[in-house]
Amino acid sequence: MEIETTQKETILIVDDIEINRAVLTEIFKEDYQTIEACNGVEALEIINGENDISAVLLDLLMPELNGLGVLKAMNESGKIESIPVFLITAADSREMLQEGYDLGAIDVITKPFMMHFLKCRVNNVIELYRHRNKLESIVAEQVKRLNEMNQSMVETLATIVEFRDCESGEHVKRISSLTRALMAEVSQMYPEYSMPKSEIEKVAMSSVLHDVGKISIPDQILNKPGRLTNEEFEIMKQHTTLGSEMLQKISNIMEDGIYNYSYDICRHHHERWDGRGYPDGLSGDDISIWAQVVSVADVYDALTAERVYKKAFSHEKAVDMINNGECGMFNPKVLKAFENVIKKEEKKHSSV
Amino acid sequence: MGLLEEMKTMGISVDEALVDRFMRNASLYERMLKKFPAMIKDLTVQPDFDGNDYTDIIEKAHAIKGATGNLSIDPLYKPYTEIVNLLREGKPEEAREVLKKVLPVQDEIVQCIEKYM
Repeated sequence: MEIETTQKETILIVDDIEINRAVLTEIFKEDYQTIEACNGVEALEIINGENDISAVLLDLLMPELNGLGVLKAMNESGKIESIPVFLITAADSREMLQEGYDLGAIDVITKPFMMHFLKCRVNNVIELYRHRNKLESIVAEQVKRLNEMNQSMVETLATIVEFRDCESGEHVKRISSLTRALMAEVSQMYPEYSMPKSEIEKVAMSSVLHDVGKISIPDQILNKPGRLTNEEFEIMKQHTTLGSEMLQKISNIMEDGIYNYSYDICRHHHERWDGRGYPDGLSGDDISIWAQVVSVADVYDALTAERVYKKAFSHEKAVDMINNGECGMFNPKVLKAFENVIKKEEKKHSSV
Repeated sequence: MGLLEEMKTMGISVDEALVDRFMRNASLYERMLKKFPAMIKDLTVQPDFDGNDYTDIIEKAHAIKGATGNLSIDPLYKPYTEIVNLLREGKPEEAREVLKKVLPVQDEIVQCIEKYM
């Protein structure tokens, strides 16, 4: 392995014949730092190492590991996405070239090399990749910032509601955490409810907005120490519809996935499996699985936390009440998943 | 007569090599030519190769073809291109005949380069 050191972009030249490597090095050494490798194994060590490689000029036929082997490994590691690979060939078989292109090679360089055209092609592609990689990193940064803004907006809204509701802010954190665990369990246990981890994260984030509509409920009802009258309860129930309407009005500043989940959760987290919930009287799986999960998480947390109108129930009592249907009917599959999550939590605590 | 002049008399496309690959740098081209004898010794292909299994011969002939192409050693590049094609087409006997003819030319070129080393 020979390395010529300067602060230029780096091209990796992979060929088992020294003369070919030397010719390519001479062609590119004025504009680039060049690294030479004499077989595929050595090439992969360099590609997967610390070097920031801008392009690979790769011979097809080599001992130890040929060019196609290098391309396959670069596909497995994902390096092929960011590093352009030129195949060096002396008119090899069409099948090999086709396979090379299928494996992501960007272009083919035929021997004997034509210096001028070769330089132009390699320079153009490196320039293109440089722009593409730069754009990708800008987009990734913007997406990250957008997600952070989304998250902080969601958390801010939830915190405001918590303050009005005389809660500490811990309620939404617990709901989010229990929703995440319960969604993961439901998703793993039942194929019909299976969801990717990234979507489960969005559901967990959205769950903190389930009570956002409470911001429009009068203080004397929201924080009434005693039992609500029927009229008051009817007003209280409106937090589901008012909340979803509020979210609809700010949907343009929310990421689509978060908006859709939070709207649905906000509106339907008081629906019940037997159709006796509110506001729409949905039943069974007409209620989305994320709204069903947040319902259970919300009820459990409400039971185990102290409120202005009640003392906190013990964990065991709360679980019993949920299973007995004292807080309305829930999907038996969600309850089974809930039982598993509780067991796992208990196991975790006992081992601590 | 220098190395490059003598190469020209042997049919090597010196001018093409200098323009297309060596940036008109004659000393660089000479340096590369002087690497050729060592390379060819590593890759020697003999006409008595196995007519049933000649994968190794294809690889060696292919490597010689690539290097002689880059050095514009046409008297070897063209025959080795033919040898690779014939072997890939499953015609080892015809490839053997071409190889027998090219080996003396190859020796002559190598000896010529070695005189200047």
